[in-house]
Amino acid sequence: MTDMNLKELSVGYNRKVILDKIALEIKKGKIVVLIGPNGAGKSTLLKTVAGLLDPIAGEILIGNEALEKLSLTEKAKKIASMMTARTTTEYITVAEVVAGGRYPYTGFLGKLSEEDKKEIENALHTVGAYAYQNDDFNTLSDGQKQRVLLARAIAQKPEFMVLDEPTSFLDIGYKLTFIQVLKELSERQNIGILMSLHELEMAQRVADVVVCISKDGKIDRVGTPEQIFHVSYLERLFEVTPGLLHNVYHFKTTKNLSAQIGVRLQNKRSHFLMVQGTMSSVGKSLVVAGLCRIFKQDGYKVAPFKSQNMALNSFVTEEGLEMGRAQVMQAEAAGIKPNVFMNPILLKPTSDSGSQVIVNGQVRGNMSAKEYFAYKTKLVGDILAAVDILQDQAEIIVIEGAGSPAEINLKANDIVNMGMANMVDAPVLLVGDIDRGGVFAQLLGTIELLDQAEANRVKGLIVNKFRGDKTILDPGLEMLEDRSGVPVVGVLPFMHLKLEDEDSLSEKFDRKQNAPIQLGVIKLPHIANFTDFDVFEQIDEIAVHYICSTKEIGDMDLIILPGSKNTISDMIWLKETGIESAIKKFSAENKPVIGICGGYQMLGEKISDPEQVENGGEIAGMGLLPLETVLTIQKHRTQVKGIFTHPTGILHSLLEKEYEGYEIHMGETKPLEETLSEFTANGSGYCKENIYGSYVHGLFDNGEVLKTIVTGIAAEKSIDLNLDRVVDYKQLKEQEYDKWADTMRQYLDMELIYNIIGVDR
Amino acid sequence: MKRKTGLITSILIVIILLLGLVNLFVGSSSVSVGKMAEILLHHNTQDTVGVIIWEIRLPRLIEAAVLGGALALSGYLLQSFFRNPIAGPFVLGISSGAKLFVAILMVISYKLLFSLHSMMLVVAAFMGSCIAASLVVLVAQKVKNMSVLIICGVMIGYVCSAATELIVAFAEDSNIVNLHNWSMGSFGAASWSNVKIIIPVVLFAFVWAILLSKGISVYQFGENYASSVGVNIKTFRLVLILVSSLLSATVTAYAGPISFVGIAVPHVIRSILKTGNVKTMIAATFLGGMAACLFCDLVARCMFAPTELSISTITAIFGAPIVIMMLLQKKSSD
Repeated sequence: MTDMNLKELSVGYNRKVILDKIALEIKKGKIVVLIGPNGAGKSTLLKTVAGLLDPIAGEILIGNEALEKLSLTEKAKKIASMMTARTTTEYITVAEVVAGGRYPYTGFLGKLSEEDKKEIENALHTVGAYAYQNDDFNTLSDGQKQRVLLARAIAQKPEFMVLDEPTSFLDIGYKLTFIQVLKELSERQNIGILMSLHELEMAQRVADVVVCISKDGKIDRVGTPEQIFHVSYLERLFEVTPGLLHNVYHFKTTKNLSAQIGVRLQNKRSHFLMVQGTMSSVGKSLVVAGLCRIFKQDGYKVAPFKSQNMALNSFVTEEGLEMGRAQVMQAEAAGIKPNVFMNPILLKPTSDSGSQVIVNGQVRGNMSAKEYFAYKTKLVGDILAAVDILQDQAEIIVIEGAGSPAEINLKANDIVNMGMANMVDAPVLLVGDIDRGGVFAQLLGTIELLDQAEANRVKGLIVNKFRGDKTILDPGLEMLEDRSGVPVVGVLPFMHLKLEDEDSLSEKFDRKQNAPIQLGVIKLPHIANFTDFDVFEQIDEIAVHYICSTKEIGDMDLIILPGSKNTISDMIWLKETGIESAIKKFSAENKPVIGICGGYQMLGEKISDPEQVENGGEIAGMGLLPLETVLTIQKHRTQVKGIFTHPTGILHSLLEKEYEGYEIHMGETKPLEETLSEFTANGSGYCKENIYGSYVHGLFDNGEVLKTIVTGIAAEKSIDLNLDRVVDYKQLKEQEYDKWADTMRQYLDMELIYNIIGVDR
Repeated sequence: MKRKTGLITSILIVIILLLGLVNLFVGSSSVSVGKMAEILLHHNTQDTVGVIIWEIRLPRLIEAAVLGGALALSGYLLQSFFRNPIAGPFVLGISSGAKLFVAILMVISYKLLFSLHSMMLVVAAFMGSCIAASLVVLVAQKVKNMSVLIICGVMIGYVCSAATELIVAFAEDSNIVNLHNWSMGSFGAASWSNVKIIIPVVLFAFVWAILLSKGISVYQFGENYASSVGVNIKTFRLVLILVSSLLSATVTAYAGPISFVGIAVPHVIRSILKTGNVKTMIAATFLGGMAACLFCDLVARCMFAPTELSISTITAIFGAPIVIMMLLQKKSSD
């Protein structure tokens, strides 16, 4: 297929570059539409592609041939163009005009052969101008003239067509027919079309690929109409006040996703509220969760949102896409299904300076911190597209910030804090942590470091994690309000909540000594998805330890090997630290070992990485289960439900109990013995005696499963446990959300908050 | 349409032949039909009348016809090129360049005390036209914008005129009269030696014009369009201007600057034929120019005989109203 390719094309006039380093493919039979504000450079690009303007740098290729190497006649046979120029002619008939298109095919004196005449006739028929082929061209209406000019371009029998705003001055009837003819032409005669349009509705209708060119001379986004035509994004592209385009045009957002989520399309813009913190871990996630629950209780459709999340704990949605867990928790609080658009950018650290970048659920690649810093401005479009989809689902969107909005060295190109607030014109609540001290400095200092426009966004202050007598605090709050000019919306108390945490920085690494059952989770250097084991925390009789040395292993009653971002590295670590031998010894004493995901892979005989998913190579596993793992580039992401098929050993009573969870791994594991017992359904996990392994995350969330496991272990130690209080984890979380929401209501001025977001109560 | 074109072309040819005949017969000495036939058939140059017919009137009318056609064609080419209805050889300053060089020649000849051969005048005019044309061509190479090109042409014209005025200021009165006379244009200096050169040159240019016809037909839709169908714009522009300059330089060299024919004739022809077909227009315009010049020369010779009016006067009297009418028509249809 000889398609057209623009490579590193820089275009402009007189060596002044207007568009820089364009890379674009125009496929035959498809239509590429350029949209963007006036002066962005669309016409310049089109003229260059049509060969009317020399490129400043880069090249245009058709198949493998460079356009500039072709002779003028060859070029004319490949590309036909229709630029904006209204010409007046004298005494020329329509047929003669169309005949002009045969120029590259006729001889010296321009005599028309039979074939030429046939082509002219065909072209006239295609546009429906055959009837008036003998009329004087000048006597036609604009719409008819455009049709004839199109016929002329068709008569040229090109492989590609370049059109510059071909419908701008036509009435709506002609606009539609012209576009229709163009689309049919492209499909039937396999012509690749590149054109610019000002009429966005037309572009949405006819384009296969949409290219957005922004005012600063860059390709902002490229995608299908479904991906590009989101109101918030278009508002930004054309620099329209947020909300204005919404009222004028009603663009349908992703039909497929809406159908999947089963939500009515809304036409009104949602209310936004952003919660930012003075630093990490002030409690933003929980404040957002609480607000979501409050709004839900008050009868509103709410959705949480965080533009960019950096987390090791990811969640797999029903569609098989990855998102951060904090938003999942917040979605549960809001009472809606989590979907990936609540967390459009997910960064999963693979090392101290690099991460895997996942955008709207799709892995975009691995990047170092520096690469990402430069790359992230390109993601604004994706963020706005996600916001748009959420606007269809919720009346109120609560946005979580990240870190601090006042990191003055990182403020350029910000897309998580004030940058995000600006994108959607959201008011901001600033949260400070009084427990760590210096809350006044935190709040005032942050506001001081923001510039005027940003500081004006901050409409309320929240003091979080307060312990003690509020009356002592009150005078300080008054001074705070005076000096900042921002009201204090509330003072929230320190709460112990049994909800999932965002990342490793948490208080969960406290020990509960003297508990009857000691559960050890190996703290792998690249530990991931460790929130799987949160569920054990709710049982007071279990102490969950995170182990990183051999000494503690002996005391455990159950060892769990968790998931890992880098299985082979962690396997090496296990060997080097001697933990592998300790675990083998542990297992030899018939004590139970459970491996989840990466941990499961490590229980096997061998892990190999032929496709260089991690760093290549292979390594011997612990050899506790006779199976082999091969890492693959293909990532398995699915939600799963099943029953335990053939559990052995201590956990045999799990037989036929139900579990629900998700798989998310980049590898396939196969048993080496046919007789190996299956643990979780469909070959997702195997077991042998007291050694269990499975790919399923969230295996323990089911209350029944949890009880059975704990009882099993307790029985081994001849301990009697009172497990009546063990509740299904889901139920527990619901209770916690309500508890938290009630507390927040008590201490926050909700009326003021509703005022801030513009909701009438 | 085709029939109509054929009809009109035939009519034109008939008109030309008639005018040619009239030109032969009309003059200071009258000749009877019988005598005329005898002179023409036997190539009689024995008596004065024969000489008049053969050495004066015949070459003159041939020259008038051919140069008239050349002028009209030059005008048509420039008008298509500039897509401007008042474009003509004058606009580009070609005629002014010729006039300047003739003026220089006249002054030099006086100063250096040698008499002016008509050939020298011709050479000087030609040189001047070509230099002015090359300047325009140079500008055309560098400039993409049409209006800028026209302005440059006009400026060159003005510069040449100014230079001419300067020279005139230092010239003798008698010289000035000479220059003035020359610059009004006349076919009086016609001779067979001239005709022998004129006909091949004009024919050469005509053939080139026909070859350019394909390009012209797409060029009228705009340079961008022409470029996109495969016309090499730079080459096309160059050749077109050269051909048109050659045509008008030839006229200016042999007959002095003649105005309005280049501008008016193409429009008249177009409005009669009502076609935009380039090849048709080229041929018809040439014929129209022939007819026009034959007519104007007739009037110039005979209106106030024995005083011969300069041809530019006549062409202006007939041409200017046509140009005005045409401009008015254009305005109303815009």
